[in-house]
Amino acid sequence: MTTTATPTFAIPGQLLGPASRYQPGPGTHLHEFNLYASLLGQVQITQPARAPGPAKRLTKITPAPAPAELPTISVMPTQLASAALKKREVLPQVGNVVLCRVIRITPRQAVVAILVCGDTVLEAEWQGLIRVQDVRATEKDRVKIYESFRPGDIVRAEVISLGDQVNYYLSTTRNELGVISAVSEAGNTMVPISWKELMDPKTGLMELRKVAQPQ
Amino acid sequence: MSDRRRVNGPAGTTLPPVFDDAVFEKLDTRNGRSRPPNATRKLFLKTGVTPSASGSAYLEIESSAKPGVSGLKLSCSVHGPRSLPRSAPFSPHIVLSTHVKYAPFATKQRRGYLRDPSERDLGIHLEAALRGAIIADRWPKSGVDIIISIIEGDQDRETSKLQGDEVWDMMNALSGCITVAAAALADAGIDCVDTVAGGVAALVQDAGDGSTPSIVVDPIPSEHEQILAACCVAYLPTRDEVTNLWFRGDLPASDLELYTSIVEHGIQASKNANRVLIDCLSGTVG
Repeated sequence: MTTTATPTFAIPGQLLGPASRYQPGPGTHLHEFNLYASLLGQVQITQPARAPGPAKRLTKITPAPAPAELPTISVMPTQLASAALKKREVLPQVGNVVLCRVIRITPRQAVVAILVCGDTVLEAEWQGLIRVQDVRATEKDRVKIYESFRPGDIVRAEVISLGDQVNYYLSTTRNELGVISAVSEAGNTMVPISWKELMDPKTGLMELRKVAQPQ
Repeated sequence: MSDRRRVNGPAGTTLPPVFDDAVFEKLDTRNGRSRPPNATRKLFLKTGVTPSASGSAYLEIESSAKPGVSGLKLSCSVHGPRSLPRSAPFSPHIVLSTHVKYAPFATKQRRGYLRDPSERDLGIHLEAALRGAIIADRWPKSGVDIIISIIEGDQDRETSKLQGDEVWDMMNALSGCITVAAAALADAGIDCVDTVAGGVAALVQDAGDGSTPSIVVDPIPSEHEQILAACCVAYLPTRDEVTNLWFRGDLPASDLELYTSIVEHGIQASKNANRVLIDCLSGTVG
């Protein structure tokens, strides 16, 4: 199908192909109906996920999914032997699930440091904020931050906004989001008992948290 | 304000006395330009020289054949993208900050440890040149620092301090800064629309005041009698766009042809530098 061979690696500004053939992925940009590389690295073409078998029955009219059929072209920075130590920096984006550590709590919010974004460990430390109304989906008015998080807890959360100049705004309203690892006042790692309780297995004492559903 | 915290050496170089001897009589000869007017000097570029930085590059331009004339040596490191300081306001784009610093020993006139206005000026020109090449909205709420050290400043050490104007050397330095910063940015993995490179062209007068001036690319001030005007261009080759233009000199305002001709020669020089840049970058991935 392809008339011109796609290059295996690209330099910023290099022409990759017309926009009618590919969808732009990471590391590319669109300019005057053509796709150009914006990073230095290897070119990757991912075919779109095929629909599993024919659609069962058409019960509603859907627009033709023409643009989604195109393969996505992206440029990935190379991980050379010399550059194995340095990873490409990623930024938390809205919708990403991140792992973070609680730094301090106030009655209105918990301040966290974002450590992992998706699957990549972040180089720089980015600060996040879980406001009291974003802790859980139900009974929002009765949420107390000190019954949900304590400093030192490891929390799985979702980015809901880029926030203000310092903080990303995070949320733990879904079941699978919340505290995934915490130590008790006695200093032992606790195990989840219910969605809002953790138990210290040594002393048997309960502590309140917004617990993430174990996966 | 002068730097009072460190022990600074003398501001100017001290030259040993040269006695009027037959051997030294031909010392101060201007041997003129050794290249054709449209040829740039050879360029060496290498990325990934500073392991602790996110991206880095080193650029060297050969010195002219004349002994004692140093070439241009630049080292650039890119730090980031990293989080902005707490005091900074929200920015939906990447915040670019550029620092250009001459090493204290880079030029005939010894430089201080603090940045002086001409170095700040270079930084501002460099920022303007790179701003047009970076896709800034790919990295919201983050900043990137581009730090360039000029290790050798492309100056003839034999000519006296009064001879020649520093600003012509700054143009050469700026074009090198733009090229080396583009390589370091590509090494750091920051999205750019194109590889930007710098080029310099100048209108020079070689044989006395009455002679007709000619346009040369990549001028070395010590090789020419007088530089009438020069321009430094930052150019994106695939987009065919100029992101920064610095023009200086005395030209008749009526002669528009001359202006565009000098800029075109600058673009030509920038294309030459870009070829080296692309070669260097494809060597790291290919």
